[in-house]
Amino acid sequence: MREYFRYFKWMYIVLGAVVALLGMLSGGHWALSRMSGHERDNQSCTTRERVFDYGDVLTEEEEEKLRKLIAKREEQTRCDIVLITLQESLKDYARSIEPGVSYDQFVRVYAEQFYEEHGFGYDRPNGDGIVLVDNWFREDDGRIYTWLCTTGRVKEKYSDAAVNHILDNVYRYVEKDPYRAYKTYINDFYHDMMGVQLFTLYVPGYVPWLVGLLSAVIFAFCNRRSKKGDKTTTALTYTGGMQPVFRIRQDRFLRKSVVSRKIQTSSGGGGGRSGGGGGGGSHGGGGHSR
Amino acid sequence: MIFKCKNCGGNVVYEPGRGRMYCPHCESEDSEEKIQGGTLAQCVNCGAPLEVQDYTSASRCGHCGSYIVFNERVEGVYEPHLLLPFYINKKAAVEALYREFSRRLFTPADFLSAKSLEKMEGIYVPFWLYDYKACYDYTGEGVRVRTWTSGNTEYTERSYFEVIRKMELDFDRVPVDASYAMEDGIMDLMEPYDYGQLQGFDPKYMSGFYGEVYNQEASQLEDRAREKSRSAAEELMQESLHGYTTVKPLHRNLDLRGTGTRYALMPVWQYLYRYKGEVYQYHVNGQTGKVIGTTPVSMGKVLGYSASVFAVVTAVCCLAVRVLEIL
Repeated sequence: MREYFRYFKWMYIVLGAVVALLGMLSGGHWALSRMSGHERDNQSCTTRERVFDYGDVLTEEEEEKLRKLIAKREEQTRCDIVLITLQESLKDYARSIEPGVSYDQFVRVYAEQFYEEHGFGYDRPNGDGIVLVDNWFREDDGRIYTWLCTTGRVKEKYSDAAVNHILDNVYRYVEKDPYRAYKTYINDFYHDMMGVQLFTLYVPGYVPWLVGLLSAVIFAFCNRRSKKGDKTTTALTYTGGMQPVFRIRQDRFLRKSVVSRKIQTSSGGGGGRSGGGGGGGSHGGGGHSR
Repeated sequence: MIFKCKNCGGNVVYEPGRGRMYCPHCESEDSEEKIQGGTLAQCVNCGAPLEVQDYTSASRCGHCGSYIVFNERVEGVYEPHLLLPFYINKKAAVEALYREFSRRLFTPADFLSAKSLEKMEGIYVPFWLYDYKACYDYTGEGVRVRTWTSGNTEYTERSYFEVIRKMELDFDRVPVDASYAMEDGIMDLMEPYDYGQLQGFDPKYMSGFYGEVYNQEASQLEDRAREKSRSAAEELMQESLHGYTTVKPLHRNLDLRGTGTRYALMPVWQYLYRYKGEVYQYHVNGQTGKVIGTTPVSMGKVLGYSASVFAVVTAVCCLAVRVLEIL
């Protein structure tokens, strides 16, 4: 056992250090959240629900996990976070409110109306908050539209680039794993609002286990090798340490060729920004389609 | 021949730790007296019959325990030009083995008992040492590639050079073992020896050890020496071609001219250990203490240690993800 602890001493020291760091950070985080207070100022919101899976793309379990995550992130960011999935055409609905509105704006109209009708906003009705509307229905133009609607403090904080960044991340996963896409939306929003973006990548739960397994396999493989010994001679071992003598050492330039090529730049996806809005709120945001 | 103590008549042996002849019976130093005689079949000390292998040049009498050097295997064409005396004794060789095994994590805890290590034997292994004068002519085409970007255009420039080298080099005493009993790969790994301690042959250094006469002629083993020299010359030539992205050889000619061959005896501690039905073979360089040999693997240790790595790394990763989430 002495040999074991001597060998793994540093591994356990690192583990202890990470545990200590986590403890300190958790403590600091808890203290900060206590100082900032928990009380929600907007008591006029008509619902406590945040996950509206009308499109039925999430399982009950996934919805519940997202609700818990949103509750945590709302408390941390002091912003309302809403997720809506749909599976219906918004053409008639949107044009009844804004006649002649284009296809890519249907989801915007819906998002803004939904936000205002329910009185979302952490600080006041139609106040600080964000809503993602992902309509899985393919409209007449053959496209699926998504809109990220920002209001209040979130609207001030979010640039077009930031909106596109979140939507890009959502679109990266949404077709194969909607839950992962929406979780990314919530976590990205949290990191953006908290002002620290050290870690914005989504790490699936199996990654730490996979890293551990790979480490163990590599460790076992490296130590299991039944090597007889290492070669300890060099090219100069039997030259008495003398460097070779170069009677001729010549590098003569022959020719030169230069080839050029244009660098292809990729064009960004669709998106837009809206200002103003109906009713009492002022919304920002942007959309993507797929 | 045998070396006897002038004081007590005991068998005097060469003691590497002291660097001189030593009588283990009366503890006298340099009290040896060379007694000629005896045959391959009979002990010069007690007259008991000996069982000597084809190439044995020094052995130990199983009856009286005396170390005997066989004249006809160390004289005439069999007389070594050079000999490297043992520099580390059995105790130091055993310590070297323990040090090496302690670094091998999965070696069973009960592997190697101190008692069995007493069976370790010192052997003078026959080697041929080859000298070469090398002359290497090389011509190739070297290419340097440079890439840069300007605006939205990427440029790649290729410069071509004619690369000419004429390299000369002397190889001094390239060793090749001349023993069937010793595996070539193991003997190659035993290298290098420090030739500064090579001496002219004196049979007294063989008293206390086993020994072999060369099993093959120098001409039969020269290919191995040439290959070692060719490989070293090639490595040195490649080192001189740095600075190019690629070099395509157009012409190369390595001329290795033999300038001498010598027969030498090199010191090796050999230890055979039987563990759970398998024989493990270890060799320790009798001059430098370098250890060559494989050890068994304890599956219990493999699983236990690997499980620890898995548990701790997974825990660290999970905690790290949590830390980054908080950040």
